[in-house]
Amino acid sequence: MKKIATLLLSAGLVAMSAQAVPSPQEDLKHFRDYFQRKFPGLKLDELRNGINALDENHRMQWEAMEEFPPYEEFVDKGKALWEKPFKNGKSFADCFGKDPSKVRVKYPQWDAKKKRVVTLELAINECRKANGEKPFKWKKGPIAWVSAYLGYMARGQKIHVVIPNDPDALKAYEHGKHFFYAKRGQLNLSCADCHVKYAGRRIRGNLLSPALGHVTHFPVFRGKWANKSKDGDGLGTLHRRYGGCNKQQRARPFKAQSKVYRDLEFFHQYMSNGMTINAPSYRE
Amino acid sequence: MKKRTILTIGLAALLTAGFGSAQAGHSSKLKAAYEKELAHAKALVEKAASVEGEWRDIRWKKSKKKFLPSAIAAAKAGDYKKAMKLLKIVEFQAEMGYKQAMAQKNAGPQNYGF
Ligand code: HEC
Repeated sequence: MKKIATLLLSAGLVAMSAQAVPSPQEDLKHFRDYFQRKFPGLKLDELRNGINALDENHRMQWEAMEEFPPYEEFVDKGKALWEKPFKNGKSFADCFGKDPSKVRVKYPQWDAKKKRVVTLELAINECRKANGEKPFKWKKGPIAWVSAYLGYMARGQKIHVVIPNDPDALKAYEHGKHFFYAKRGQLNLSCADCHVKYAGRRIRGNLLSPALGHVTHFPVFRGKWANKSKDGDGLGTLHRRYGGCNKQQRARPFKAQSKVYRDLEFFHQYMSNGMTINAPSYRE
Repeated sequence: MKKRTILTIGLAALLTAGFGSAQAGHSSKLKAAYEKELAHAKALVEKAASVEGEWRDIRWKKSKKKFLPSAIAAAKAGDYKKAMKLLKIVEFQAEMGYKQAMAQKNAGPQNYGF
């Protein structure tokens, strides 16, 4: 009798602790189900097109842009950088393998040795440093070109982030997840408020995209960024966008490739697992 | 009785403040008060930052307001009154940011009606 009670009790405790911290797999299911209930007419891979999936006018503009993609010349620059040997005679292929179409899907990845999330951009710069080259600046320019080239080569493949069952990896994932759901800044809004709760609604004239599929087309080419640059280069990395959105919350943005943003990316990309890469893509 | 005492003290304080600015030594008092306030404000900002709760306009380099650097600049220019006013905003925002982060400790997914 006592035994049964103990058994029941421990089963109850196990159930409780399992409920307290859902696994990444459970999170992913919940995340997807939510958007599929919210936008029942849209197929999973439609959602990655952000506001273009939700609004006819945006969609038409976007389709017109994609006919003569303004990012093409920068993808070509990325290809040239990928192929150009470093001063020591080696090249990116020595770090990432010869096939440029097989790189994008491996990132972000968990680095068990150093206990950290490694994003594609971090890996690009660490490859340069290891070969005696100066690292690129983090948010735009050459790093975005190389990343865009690798994304372009991976088009059609599915996002496939692996969260290993390792307490440190799970901690990084939970950190990123918490960052996504916590309200911050003077406006007291979370990423989830704008891109989950209010996805499909307007905020100060801006239509809000669903977070499901957010990452498939990064680095993104934005018209706004192109207008700001001297040579029409509108490419920017995911962390550049994170900084912009933190700013909109009136929270202080973190540095690109800081631990906070890498952990956020770990969670954010994982939530789009199974969705098809279509990088780069045009946005306003 | 009590009311009157407070009034008298208040009046005295006002007078001291008013006449004080003309007196030598007053500005060094202001400076000391400012420095104390600055240290306090900075500590609050670090506390907010330590929980990822710092707001945009406290000291981020691209903020147009940058209350903390603006306070320091005002003090440098000798305008301690303005500096103190800005520090109060810094302190308020830093405390709010910290409290917000504490309140969001258990933030997580919701269904939002779906
Ligand atoms: C105040 C509302 C708001 C908040 C909060 C917010 N964003 Fe955004 N975000 C926007 C707007 C507006 C856009 C541009 C329109 C769109 O694509 O949704 C945008 C765009 C994006 C995009 C690009 C979408 C695309 O299709 O290219 C990403 C990625 C993104 N946000 C991520 C985040 C993350 C991560 C957070 C939390 C750190 C966040 N956002 C917080 C308003 C917000």
